[in-house]
Amino acid sequence: MIHFERFTLDNGLRVLFHKEPATPMAVVNLVYDVGARDENPAQTGFAHLFEHLMFGGSVHIPDFDAPLQAAGGQSNAFTSNDITNYYDVLPAHNLDTALWLESDRMLSLAFTPKSLEVQRQVVIEEFKQRYLNQPYGDAWLQLRPLAYQKHPYRWATIGKNIKHIADATMDDVRAFFQKHYHPGNAVLCIVGNFELADIQQKVQHYFGDIPAQTKIARQLPQEPTQKRFRQKVISRKVPADSFYYAFQMGKRLDNDYYLADLLSDHIGNEKTGLLFTELQRKKRLVSEITAYITGSIDNGLFVITGKINPNRTLMELDDALWPLLEKYKAKKMSKPALQQLILKLQTAKAFQDQGLLSRAMNLSFFELLGDAALINQESARFSSIQTADLQIYAQQLFDKDRCALLQIQAQLP
Amino acid sequence: MTQQTLPTVLDRNIAPQLRPINHIAFVAPAIYNLKNGAKLFWRNGLQNETSKIELHFAAGSATGDPLTASLCAGLLINGTAQKTAKQIQKALDAVGAYYDVSLSQETTVVTLYALKDQLLKAYQIFHESLFGATFPPKELQELVHERSQKFKIQQQKVSFLAQRFFQRSLFAGSVYAQQIQLEDFQNADRTAIQAFHEQHYLKGLKKVFLIGDVSEDTLGSFQDLLNLFESNTKERKPFEWQPEAGATHIEQEGALQSAVRIGRPLFNKTHPDFCAFSVLNTILGDYFGSRLMSNIREDKGYTYGIGSHIVENNNFGYFVIGTEVGVQTRTATFIEIQKEFERLQTELVTDAELELVKSYLMGQLLKSADGPYAMLDLFANVETLGLDLSFYDRYIAEIKAVDAQKLQALAQRYLNWDQMLIISAG
Repeated sequence: MIHFERFTLDNGLRVLFHKEPATPMAVVNLVYDVGARDENPAQTGFAHLFEHLMFGGSVHIPDFDAPLQAAGGQSNAFTSNDITNYYDVLPAHNLDTALWLESDRMLSLAFTPKSLEVQRQVVIEEFKQRYLNQPYGDAWLQLRPLAYQKHPYRWATIGKNIKHIADATMDDVRAFFQKHYHPGNAVLCIVGNFELADIQQKVQHYFGDIPAQTKIARQLPQEPTQKRFRQKVISRKVPADSFYYAFQMGKRLDNDYYLADLLSDHIGNEKTGLLFTELQRKKRLVSEITAYITGSIDNGLFVITGKINPNRTLMELDDALWPLLEKYKAKKMSKPALQQLILKLQTAKAFQDQGLLSRAMNLSFFELLGDAALINQESARFSSIQTADLQIYAQQLFDKDRCALLQIQAQLP
Repeated sequence: MTQQTLPTVLDRNIAPQLRPINHIAFVAPAIYNLKNGAKLFWRNGLQNETSKIELHFAAGSATGDPLTASLCAGLLINGTAQKTAKQIQKALDAVGAYYDVSLSQETTVVTLYALKDQLLKAYQIFHESLFGATFPPKELQELVHERSQKFKIQQQKVSFLAQRFFQRSLFAGSVYAQQIQLEDFQNADRTAIQAFHEQHYLKGLKKVFLIGDVSEDTLGSFQDLLNLFESNTKERKPFEWQPEAGATHIEQEGALQSAVRIGRPLFNKTHPDFCAFSVLNTILGDYFGSRLMSNIREDKGYTYGIGSHIVENNNFGYFVIGTEVGVQTRTATFIEIQKEFERLQTELVTDAELELVKSYLMGQLLKSADGPYAMLDLFANVETLGLDLSFYDRYIAEIKAVDAQKLQALAQRYLNWDQMLIISAG
């Protein structure tokens, strides 16, 4: 159980406070309700480029990092297809420094051409390092537009291609800030050994005068239910053939998410999962195979992925996988097997909740989804799942018509 | 804590007042001497359900043939006369436990994570599997195959190529230079693995760290089981060496970026210059505002990231700068790094920069000491070098005391471009 207090400023900023008496540190987490899904299809990679610019100085403060470092703190951020999340971790007695910095960059950035020019270059190098100069690095750049045809999840956070980043202008950047960076579009979460009254006073002091702005309702094209199997084959300079079967699943808060999470563990686990035991060990078709879910806010993907053994083929794997999934759909999981899966998830969650930053991020994320209290319902949602639910869900999920398959053929011996 | 009063009107041009960290309390775990001579360190008082046990074995990659060490670590609990690898895994699943095995040059660390009521059960499963390990030929064959496939993929990565070549050149002529080659996989030797298991695991326990609110009874049961190992508590043997400096480039056709490693032998926490050099290293390349980041990322945009580090082992330490840069800016990056060395050697660090880095390091130390898990890690980091927690009090005092002249002298002594090993791939 993670306890928290919640209040909202007049300008619409939602604030969460989680008291942790045992720590000398404080976490300030600020999530903005903007991700790559909110980008213009002709200007992708913007939310992420913008995250970089947020460290380039704000209206009253030339350098974001230096004052925080001088306070003994550290900061970073990440952008996903759904959100942009900033966090500061610093000694609790210097909490004010983080609030001063975060509130100033929410108020307005100091947009400089130099900062834009440099960060464009940095992001282009990031693009190369993570996606282009790695074996299999561009797989998701290829898979997304195959699995999504309408929803903006069809492009990756880094962007569709380097050109979109290279072409970004100052005006584009300013407009993006105006639209998405304001109190009503953010959730602030503070964790540490503080009193609620002090937190209220401090947050009001630093964030209270930032002008309110109307939050524009998001209207994204939803991905229609896929009607026919899709397949794409590409060739790359990699040593082994590789495959990505992506099945359409539901939203983060749907029951789907919890069912799919358990199913992916059940079939995807190393050593005990069905994919490993049947396809890797028994049939010796693959050198590695696993299953996972994307867990996105809008409809996500359930992915089965792995690499083909030398002298075996993508077609042999395909011929073996579909009957295996059919067999799986026909059989109900045992009750002890389900209880084990849930116990493992709960153990992992207990360790995750150890971390202050993880608590702050999760509270903020659930508040952004509608209610921070949802964080305390996760465990019960898993526990309420019955074996019959899983079987029904597997039957619905593993439908070839709702699958997108990316195959990568190896050009290297 | 005392509260700061806020001014009624906010002036955003004025930074909030900072307060220094005056004191950090370092808490040692309880120490138990096992009958075999190894020590068990126990930390409780977590007030949550989590727990873990960490076993350190003298079984690192440099303690024997690196392929044998690596395969042995990968097969530790993959079959006994009574149970298959899958049955062992299922037994661990049934108690919700996770485990991982991490191999460094000197040591292999096996960690089991579970809720505190399940930890002893998880350990019993692990213990029985480790002691009864039969290394089934089929499991060995599968692991060799999986590892060699992964190795082929790794070889496509410029970071992997640069790191391997750097290690090999840095440690040339010593056991630390030994590396697995792709063709070695076909010579995997089960008998050698069995002998390694006996010598380096069953007779190679160095120490154990246990954390979690378990009962005294449970603690006793852990000790009974741990006593069944023979220990290896050999003294550390400090290793000093002098590799050949100079630049080597490994060409990889079609690469968009080059991975770079630049470094030299240095020292670990046992050396009198360690604390002051940590400050110098931070200024140069070990935080977001460092000179390398400010120059090569934030001013030039040559890279997504660049950093410098002191890498420590029980017996030595080395210094290394790592980055991945666009192929066409590789040479320009070298020139800038060299300039940063020279600046540190010729210009005194300003008070403002020095104060900022000192405060930053204090904040980071406070964070590293936050919570029982972090505190036990801090303890383990010094214990393994034969030091105790008083090291951190010394570290704080030395950080506070170090001045610009001292940093300049250290840069002149340790950061000479022509003494660096410079490796790039891509």
